[in-house]
Amino acid sequence: MASDTILETKDLTKRLGGKKVVDGVNLAIGRGDIYGFLGPNGAGKTTTIRMLLGLAKPTDGSIRVFGKDIRKERIAILRKVGSLVEYPSYYGHLTAVENLEAIRRLLGVPKARIDEVLSIVRLTKDANRAVKGFSLGMKQRLGIATALLGDPELLVLDEPTNGLDPAGIQEIRELIKSLPGKSGVTILISSHLLSEVEQMATRVGIISKGKLIYEDSIQRLRDQAKGRIRLSVSEPEAAWRTLLSHGHSVGWENGVLTASQTDNRTVAGIVAQLVKADYEVYRVEEESASLESIFLEMTGTEGSL
Amino acid sequence: MLLRILSAEFLKIRRKWLWVLVVAGPLGVVALQGVNFGLRYDYLVRGKQPGEVWDALIGDVSMLAMPALLMGLAIVASMSAGIEHQMNAWKLTLALPVSKRQVFAGKFVLTALLLLVSSALLVPLSAAFGLTLGLGGGSIPWSDLLTDAFYPYLASMPFIALQAWLSVTMANQAVPLTVGIIGMIVSLFAGARFPDWVPYKWPQLAVSANDPLYAVAAGVAFGIVVFAVGLTEFVRKDVK
Ligand SMILES: Nc1ncnc2c1ncn2[C@@H]1O[C@H](COP(=O)(O)OP(=O)(O)OP(=O)(O)O)[C@@H](O)[C@H]1O
Ligand SMILES: [Mg+2]
Repeated sequence: MASDTILETKDLTKRLGGKKVVDGVNLAIGRGDIYGFLGPNGAGKTTTIRMLLGLAKPTDGSIRVFGKDIRKERIAILRKVGSLVEYPSYYGHLTAVENLEAIRRLLGVPKARIDEVLSIVRLTKDANRAVKGFSLGMKQRLGIATALLGDPELLVLDEPTNGLDPAGIQEIRELIKSLPGKSGVTILISSHLLSEVEQMATRVGIISKGKLIYEDSIQRLRDQAKGRIRLSVSEPEAAWRTLLSHGHSVGWENGVLTASQTDNRTVAGIVAQLVKADYEVYRVEEESASLESIFLEMTGTEGSL
Repeated sequence: MLLRILSAEFLKIRRKWLWVLVVAGPLGVVALQGVNFGLRYDYLVRGKQPGEVWDALIGDVSMLAMPALLMGLAIVASMSAGIEHQMNAWKLTLALPVSKRQVFAGKFVLTALLLLVSSALLVPLSAAFGLTLGLGGGSIPWSDLLTDAFYPYLASMPFIALQAWLSVTMANQAVPLTVGIIGMIVSLFAGARFPDWVPYKWPQLAVSANDPLYAVAAGVAFGIVVFAVGLTEFVRKDVK
């Protein structure tokens, strides 16, 4: 284990109802990473996270956090982990402060932490209201406050923006982005939307049908998302044949020409050729393949979302 | 650690009806006997020796208190576990640096303590009731009052452990509550029909047997066994 790897799983497997819901997953998360754990619904994200937190026991494989085995040193590990699993849990009849106090008594951290985390998630104003009257976004923020209460080194957030409106999603995203700067925590955040973690993640792991099918830096994933050039021209089919006969590799779909090589020289060459052959060039556009489409391609759920 | 868990537990039952129930149970039992004695004052009290009246009073209170205790323990266990089930807070608590054993023990101890308070309240409430009947303060049979309050409680330990376990392990509280209600009914009719080794008879034996301490000791011992079985199951199981 590299000295800066703080979470590592080996062949992590969980069988539920006779099915391998998590199947031989090897995760590696380094200190300071914001790790985006991605996968479509039912891929096994929550099941994996439950095992990382010691809530469920792996059928097979091992988990080491901070270099310690979760089976042997669960409590020592959890002392430095804050988490929010699936949807926020809370005691509806208690106020935000009382909810945090109940957890604080178990953690044994100073009382002042309650005000601190409430102000981090901007719930100070609503601190003394019963949580059952909170909006979903506020409950989610309270969940994050709870996760932060013990001043964790590792923060595990399972779909923290689930069910929120765009403004709520943005708010939570800003909140999460601001955390590492403030306290240097490592964050594992799961989502079924790449776009959601794209802007904050430094690394991504993609899980599908229980298997980890990709794990690398977000930059690598971006590099794979090279764009292409779309040209709309008069008489596209004839233009396409002309270009092919001059050795340009272009495609033709739905009346638009596409070139997957996007360097300046290639594009200039194609346009020059078209003009020379008297085709009218209406538009030359760059289309950058979204990470989303790459993600869909990898997870093989194209069209089903 | 268990103390920290308990202090969190007591915080969590704020603004729940639990405390009301804990007080209303013994109060209701004594109040019902108040009605009984009020209606039948001539027959039960007039012209009797204070000792006789106290005996009748304590006997009648504990006759009513026993089914109330068996029903109450099922409700209290269900309500204190329900606090976690409601918004599935188990995954919140058990992802904290606390041992699963102690979380389970916390729920059991909370339930047991609340019922202890209920049972203990029978003592001053019964004494006050006797005084309102005009029985002299000097005649209060404290030791009978105490044994009739605490022996059935201790003999009920297996049921406290069973209900705490069922309520914690099942998200749907209909099952533990049904078990609790059936248990109460069974214990009501346990009197002559069951042999002494049937646990449902123990709360009753704890006040009526020649040597009630057998029932008390058996209750505590079997209570520990049920608690241990529940604990083992809870620790092994994945958290929902
Ligand atoms: N107790 C269970 N018994 C059988 N199968 C289960 C059980 N719990 C979960 N599963 C299955 O395990 C798979 C993975 O579930 P999991 O909740 O981990 O997915 P997820 O990636 O978190 O999905 P989502 O994005 O919807 O939250 C699903 O197909 C689910 O049906
Ligand atoms: Mg999930």
